[in-house]
Amino acid sequence: MKKRYILPVRTMAILLLLSSLIIFMNFRFKSESLIRNSVVGQAHTEFLKTELNAKDSVASVKAFAEVYKVLMSPRCMNCHPSGDVPLQGDDSHLHAMLPKRGKDGKGLYAMKCTNCHQPTNIEGLNKPPGHPDWHLPPANMKMVFEGRTPNQLAKQLVNPRTNGNKSMQQLIEHADDGLVKAGWNPGEGRTLPPLSHEEFKKVWITWIKTGAYAPPPMKAK
Amino acid sequence: MIKLTINKKEHNVDVDPDTPLLWVLRDTLNLVGTKYGCGVAQCGACVVHLNGEAVRSCVTKVSRAEGKKVVTIEGLSETHTHPLQKAWLDLDVSQCGYCQAGQIMSAAVLLKENKNPTDQDIDDAMAGNICRCGTYLRIREAIHAAAKIQRQDA
Amino acid sequence: MEKGNSTNSRRAFLRSSALLGGGLMIHFSGLTRFSPAEKLGNIDLPEQWNEINGYVKITADNLIKIICPNPEFGQNVMTSLPMIVAEELDVDWKKVIVEMGPHDNVKLGPQFTGGSNSVRMYWRPLRQAGAAARHMLKEAAAQTWGVPVEEITTKAGMLFHEKSGKSAKYGDVASKAATVPVPKDIKLKDVKSFNVVRHSQKNVEGEKIVTGKPLFGLDYTHEGMLIAMIEHPPAIGMKLKSFDASKTLQMPGVKDVFTLKLFEDGFEQGGFDTRTFNDLLVVVGKSTWEVMNARKKLVVEWTAAGDTKDYAGGRNGKTERIVPGELENTDRQYQKMREFADKPAQQLRKDGDPETAFKNAAQIIERTYTAPFLAHNCMEPMNFFAHVTDEKALLVGPLQAPGWTEPTLVKLLNLPADKIEIQMTRMGGGFGRRAYGHYLMEAALISKKVKAPIKLMYTREDDMTYGVYRPMYTATYRAALDANKNLIAFHVKGGGIPEHPIHANRFPAGAVDNYLAEGWQIPSNITTGAFRAPRSNFNAAAEQSFLDEVAEAMGKDPIEFRLELLKRAKETPVGKNNEYDADRYAGVLKLIRDKSGWNKPENKKYNRGVAAYFCHSSYAAHVVDMVMKDGQPYVERVFSAMDCGIVVNPDAATNMVQGAVVDGIGNAFYGGLIHKDGVAQQNNFNKYRIIRINEAPKKIDVSFVQNDIDPTGLGEPPFPPVFGAVANALYKTLGNRLYQQPFAVPVTDKRAF
Repeated sequence: MKKRYILPVRTMAILLLLSSLIIFMNFRFKSESLIRNSVVGQAHTEFLKTELNAKDSVASVKAFAEVYKVLMSPRCMNCHPSGDVPLQGDDSHLHAMLPKRGKDGKGLYAMKCTNCHQPTNIEGLNKPPGHPDWHLPPANMKMVFEGRTPNQLAKQLVNPRTNGNKSMQQLIEHADDGLVKAGWNPGEGRTLPPLSHEEFKKVWITWIKTGAYAPPPMKAK
Repeated sequence: MIKLTINKKEHNVDVDPDTPLLWVLRDTLNLVGTKYGCGVAQCGACVVHLNGEAVRSCVTKVSRAEGKKVVTIEGLSETHTHPLQKAWLDLDVSQCGYCQAGQIMSAAVLLKENKNPTDQDIDDAMAGNICRCGTYLRIREAIHAAAKIQRQDA
Repeated sequence: MEKGNSTNSRRAFLRSSALLGGGLMIHFSGLTRFSPAEKLGNIDLPEQWNEINGYVKITADNLIKIICPNPEFGQNVMTSLPMIVAEELDVDWKKVIVEMGPHDNVKLGPQFTGGSNSVRMYWRPLRQAGAAARHMLKEAAAQTWGVPVEEITTKAGMLFHEKSGKSAKYGDVASKAATVPVPKDIKLKDVKSFNVVRHSQKNVEGEKIVTGKPLFGLDYTHEGMLIAMIEHPPAIGMKLKSFDASKTLQMPGVKDVFTLKLFEDGFEQGGFDTRTFNDLLVVVGKSTWEVMNARKKLVVEWTAAGDTKDYAGGRNGKTERIVPGELENTDRQYQKMREFADKPAQQLRKDGDPETAFKNAAQIIERTYTAPFLAHNCMEPMNFFAHVTDEKALLVGPLQAPGWTEPTLVKLLNLPADKIEIQMTRMGGGFGRRAYGHYLMEAALISKKVKAPIKLMYTREDDMTYGVYRPMYTATYRAALDANKNLIAFHVKGGGIPEHPIHANRFPAGAVDNYLAEGWQIPSNITTGAFRAPRSNFNAAAEQSFLDEVAEAMGKDPIEFRLELLKRAKETPVGKNNEYDADRYAGVLKLIRDKSGWNKPENKKYNRGVAAYFCHSSYAAHVVDMVMKDGQPYVERVFSAMDCGIVVNPDAATNMVQGAVVDGIGNAFYGGLIHKDGVAQQNNFNKYRIIRINEAPKKIDVSFVQNDIDPTGLGEPPFPPVFGAVANALYKTLGNRLYQQPFAVPVTDKRAF
């Protein structure tokens, strides 16, 4: 299924490896879903089976390029920092007052996320954006975006050991996660991600459904 | 009418549910120990406890406090002898004093969750509270002293 | 500088205290205007205080109340000033009740908090007040017991007559003492015998602070009080054109929306009547939140104000000043400063022949330093309560200089001074900002207009964008070295918007044969005001950086180089009017050299920077020890040495110095406010970075030179040299020198953090 693509040999080898990994993971996911034995689970299994037959690394990599733009935008990356302090603002500077991730990603002591970040946005410039579940990834699953190349990020996203134990289906569902969607409702004075949520969801699902291919390695953005 | 429990006392307040808790405390209930400093959750002068967490009342709508326990500096200790209050006086921390209620309320959450904080823990907990007079060294020292008082009392 | 005669002559003292304020109305006559009968007749008072004089009240049941004359903004004068009275009065400090006095220049003196003046200007009068009261109590006891007053002794609020074994509490004879004439010649205690002063006493309001009692202006409330806010123009240089308040007036809680003129055209402004905006758009309503929201609904059209005129009163009559109307940009400001730096400037001081010396120099070192506008950012934003009626006015709030605002209020409200009552609350910081009483005047006019008690409140954004900033400064320093690397000439040419920073008669003036100081200024509509050690807070950064650069070029140790210059200034001073005492200056440098272990191998791990400075009659030196932490320069440890004469309250003084060091590091690293088309680009703490606890040093070791000299300033003097010491340590840390403040992030960088 890869032989159709004109790619440098080394990249092809890597892609081969990667897609094998993805296939492996998909199978793993399938069995998990079956164990769950829910209607939804079964439906998903069917759905993925179909998708497995529709892999398309070109479409996948192309979709991921769009996904990457969104994930690396301040609205997403700011809470997926490389350190333990979130980023802030459209220039993604270190969050003022340096709140720390804490074990559960919800902050430390008097500096817990929801001490300032309210259940909803509040009117006015410079006010903390809101969501009931405001947090960073936890300390044991940091899911760093900051500094990741498209290749690194794609690999990280599909690997349950680095993506928060998410299956492919859960990854798809994650596009509708409340906190993810909060990126498109960032409060006054903050730019939106480069794609609308609908567009993002489309490329996100396309990327996954076409095989969740990682783009070839390149320099970090 | 919004029902609030502040410092163990119930209050019914007739305010817009979007009003920040800070202004309900200060303007409606005349509990002025909680201070306004920036209104955008940057300085920490307005910190109160909401179900034990050090929330910033300037950005917390009063509706969020409904049915929860609010504690302000006035109610931190019924006898005004919280280890932090004692330590603050022992070390004469304050200069202008405007930020200190917020500092103490933040520190109280730290001491509740960490009985023996290091300097790093203190910085992690307290970097959200600005003191324009620069009393930070004494704040650190007073938190250590309060932790000691707390351990001795326990 | 106190230049009065001996302390025994009250009239001589009166004259010298008048000099302190530079001709302002500081008519201190607390002792001479004493008239106890006024108060004694009033039996309705809840406590029957017998007023001994303006500062001390003693009840029959021996409660002793000492009035603090000066506003408290964190410098701890509410503790230190009463301590001075208590010392001479000889009372048990623990039993003393301290109360903030109202504005009363007649009874309580100049009442000005600023210029590091509080202790300095009240030291003698408060000692005299305490000693006079003690004498009057002794006299009353002597009369009661029929014994000579010389045989009466006192101890901790008690009077004793040893021969007869009689004793009494102060309160027992307080009523009688109030009828005793105020003594003419008062003997003061020997400073070596002090047992209250020079001993650490706790902040008298400490407990109120940590328990959240109402103390500050914003905490003040009054029956029927309304809240007022002003919608200022978005940019300095703009003014109100028109507005539509229909939506605002529909908002809940809103009472009124109107415009006011602060000063009428041609109004003669006093020296501290600085104001940025004159046409005020005011929203008045029931509660803070309601007014905040309603104000957002205003539809306002602003327009360029164009050039305007200000009129200043003064000894030389009314003078006119054109305020340029340009909407200013920071880049353009820096460009203008570079242009002005090349033009001829006003000569401020010249010794020897600097031109020739520079011409003949083997080496010339020239460096230019700049610093941006700074916002004071007091934690408690500007606010004031006012209740003005046709008959009288009550004003309550945070204010550093009631004596300077009262004359303006008299004119604005058309009320006599004795119908204007100003009460000073504790201030949530001041730093010079609250010497400018425009917000009090605005409050008064609003109250007069709405005929109700109101509290005017600035939000943080209102406060930070209003103006009254620390000016923008620059200075070019030049040093000429001869072939043997001796310093033969020194030249400083400083400028700023809107004032230059140069103190021409300060070090190293007096220490160099050929010396030239020049200044130039660029007028601006961006208003400025005193900011903790005005001008010095820039000079100490630039000059102390430069001295390090010169020392390096000469191959000398920075401390030894400064000491050599000071030795020269002491032994064969150059020129006249050198403001500093070279011995005391050298004293703090020597003390810091010892305390910091300067050049000791165990301190090699730190990048060390030293600086020393003289201002407000005191001397300060710091050594800062810098390391890299998380990829950022971090001041981990500081040693500070101070000479401010007698230290009234040592622990509180230490706190003050530690705070000044933290404030200095914070402003040196992060402080800066820039403008784009007149709009302040920083309007809250998310953009204006204030130092936080994680950036504060682990240790600040403070030492005081021990001497018996009358106390001098402390609030400001430790602040300026911090900037220089940080700059010098940064040079060691980074390997290159930074010339533009703030040092952490360039002020023109869009990233504030």
